Amino acid sequence: MMKINKKERNRAFILFIVFSIWVLFIVYKLVKIQVFDYTKYISKVKSQCNRIFSLHPKRGTIYDCNGDVLAISIRAESAFLSNKDNKESMEIFSLLSKQVRLTYREKKNIKERINKGRKFIWIKRKLEDREYEKLKKIKHNLNSTSTLGFVDEYKRVYPQKTLAAHVLGGVGIDEQGLCGIEYEIDSLIRGKGGKVKVLIDARGKIFEIEYLKQPVAGKDIFLTIDSSIQFFVEEELRRTAEKFRAKKGSVIVMDSKHGSILAMASYPFYDPVRIKHTSQRVLKNVAVSFLYDPGSTFKIILASSALENEVCHPKQIFNCYNGVFHIKNRTIHDIHPYEGLTFEEIIINSSNIGAARIGLRLGKENYYRTLKRFGFGNKTGINLPAEEYGILNSLKKWSNVSVAFLSFGYEVAVTPIQMARAFNVIASEGYLIKPNVLKRVDGIVLPQVKKTKILSSSTGHIMTSIMTEVVNIGTGKQTKIEGIDIAGKTGTTKKIKNGSYEDSYVSSFGGFFPAKNPRITMFVVIDEPKGKFYGGEVAAPLFKTITNRLLIYLNIFPELDKGNEVRI
Amino acid sequence: MKKSKDKSLVRVFMIVMFFVFILLFTYSSLNLKNIDYGYRMHELVLREKALKEKVDKLRAQKASLLNLKRVERIVKKKLNYQYPRSDQFVKVFENK
Repeated sequence: MMKINKKERNRAFILFIVFSIWVLFIVYKLVKIQVFDYTKYISKVKSQCNRIFSLHPKRGTIYDCNGDVLAISIRAESAFLSNKDNKESMEIFSLLSKQVRLTYREKKNIKERINKGRKFIWIKRKLEDREYEKLKKIKHNLNSTSTLGFVDEYKRVYPQKTLAAHVLGGVGIDEQGLCGIEYEIDSLIRGKGGKVKVLIDARGKIFEIEYLKQPVAGKDIFLTIDSSIQFFVEEELRRTAEKFRAKKGSVIVMDSKHGSILAMASYPFYDPVRIKHTSQRVLKNVAVSFLYDPGSTFKIILASSALENEVCHPKQIFNCYNGVFHIKNRTIHDIHPYEGLTFEEIIINSSNIGAARIGLRLGKENYYRTLKRFGFGNKTGINLPAEEYGILNSLKKWSNVSVAFLSFGYEVAVTPIQMARAFNVIASEGYLIKPNVLKRVDGIVLPQVKKTKILSSSTGHIMTSIMTEVVNIGTGKQTKIEGIDIAGKTGTTKKIKNGSYEDSYVSSFGGFFPAKNPRITMFVVIDEPKGKFYGGEVAAPLFKTITNRLLIYLNIFPELDKGNEVRI
Repeated sequence: MKKSKDKSLVRVFMIVMFFVFILLFTYSSLNLKNIDYGYRMHELVLREKALKEKVDKLRAQKASLLNLKRVERIVKKKLNYQYPRSDQFVKVFENK
């Protein structure tokens, strides 16, 4: 065993003491920092390495009824200039402006802001991927006090471009809904922003994340719109509107049983991405906001009311005064003069005098009650913004001749969606069904809309057979398709401009098919067509072309001869 | 007597020191591990975010490629397809 002398033992003892003091000092310091001065140091740490960031919520995706994407939000970078020296910033901007697409006005605006010495200047919000890559390279090579920075944002993309634009609407630069469904359900689809606290090290690397407020992503929405139907409806509407150089137009295709809107097209179309540069006139959804006198399409409401109130029967004959009928100090004309027509023939041939005579027999109270039941003068409640109420004067305001003029669709203003719903009442054997465009919200199927019985089934059947004859032998002949029963009614209205009727017209056609078991209700309206203007000549052929394509798409086969049937 | 007392003191000291070091080492290594986990978690969060963004971008791209106008243009112009007439349809019934 090694012998330790006294000197060595003393040295070891001193070392032991020094070492003990050192350890005790460390322990003391640790206890002091971790226990006694904990709050002081933790606040220091927090101030040095804590950062709080706002998190933008992702806007929900909009799908059509088949799950095809109609609107989606994707990440996009926005570029800004942190201006510390005006001259330098101007040089940087001249570099940047060659790489990003900016309008003359935008460039001017940025230059003005730099000259004013603003510290934070947006260069471009929501850059294209290519633009971002180019700017990133520029940022990397910059060597100046003014700096180029990027902010993470979301950009709304509409992959189908103009398809269903009036239904979808559009969003603003901060992803806020501006019109259409984007505006109507903004609170649902927008989501809620969150806040996150991160801890960063000396090199700026994040090593701890704490969500102060979890961001809530917007809900995904499924519409009742079928993009294939919407597509060919828009194509045919555009073709007709261009052919007749119409001011505007609309087509509504509706599921007869549930009131779901399968297609809703409004002409002229627009690109939702370019909403900022689109005029208010074009942004308006014609289907819900165009107010017009419905004209002869309104005769189906009159006829339904007359049958429902049992004031006449389908074979009853009315005197039609050879095309000129005087009532008080007003005169009603028919395009083709008729001596006498049955109730059915009045609708089939669209006689204004006959309709006025039915209306006078029906009485204004009965007629007004029916109009209210059909919902005229009120919004349909469709989940789209900017819907018009329409104009239906209260009974007190009706003059002695009002009932006669209202019988063939004047002195009243309606929207195409109100008319589509009214035609659907006949198609659904008397049920008033609220039209809707929303199918599912975040996987939850919305409850079916309430139906209200407003007409008896027998009235519905009689009206269907009369409207089928309108298409077979009446004013709607141009809609006729061999082998398929279509029920419909034409309408032509002179427009009022500056208080008097002028030579501009609204041409319309409403109907449903197959007449015996309706699946589709459709309403077509064309505003101010040039050349031809009758409903039977402008709107009815459009109805037919769309129907032809719908028959193929929906597998509804015309009942032709047995030659095209094969049994296996 | 004194010698043995010193020896036992050194032994106690060594044991105490050993435990103090173990304690310090465990404490600091746990903290370092936590920090390391933090880095890795953040990295994963970023990767998840990037993947989600990529998925969204691809979905948007897929939807634009399926743009009905584009599809119809290709079908009509490149493939020379035409819409069938209603009389070109053949109804097939299965006899039961």
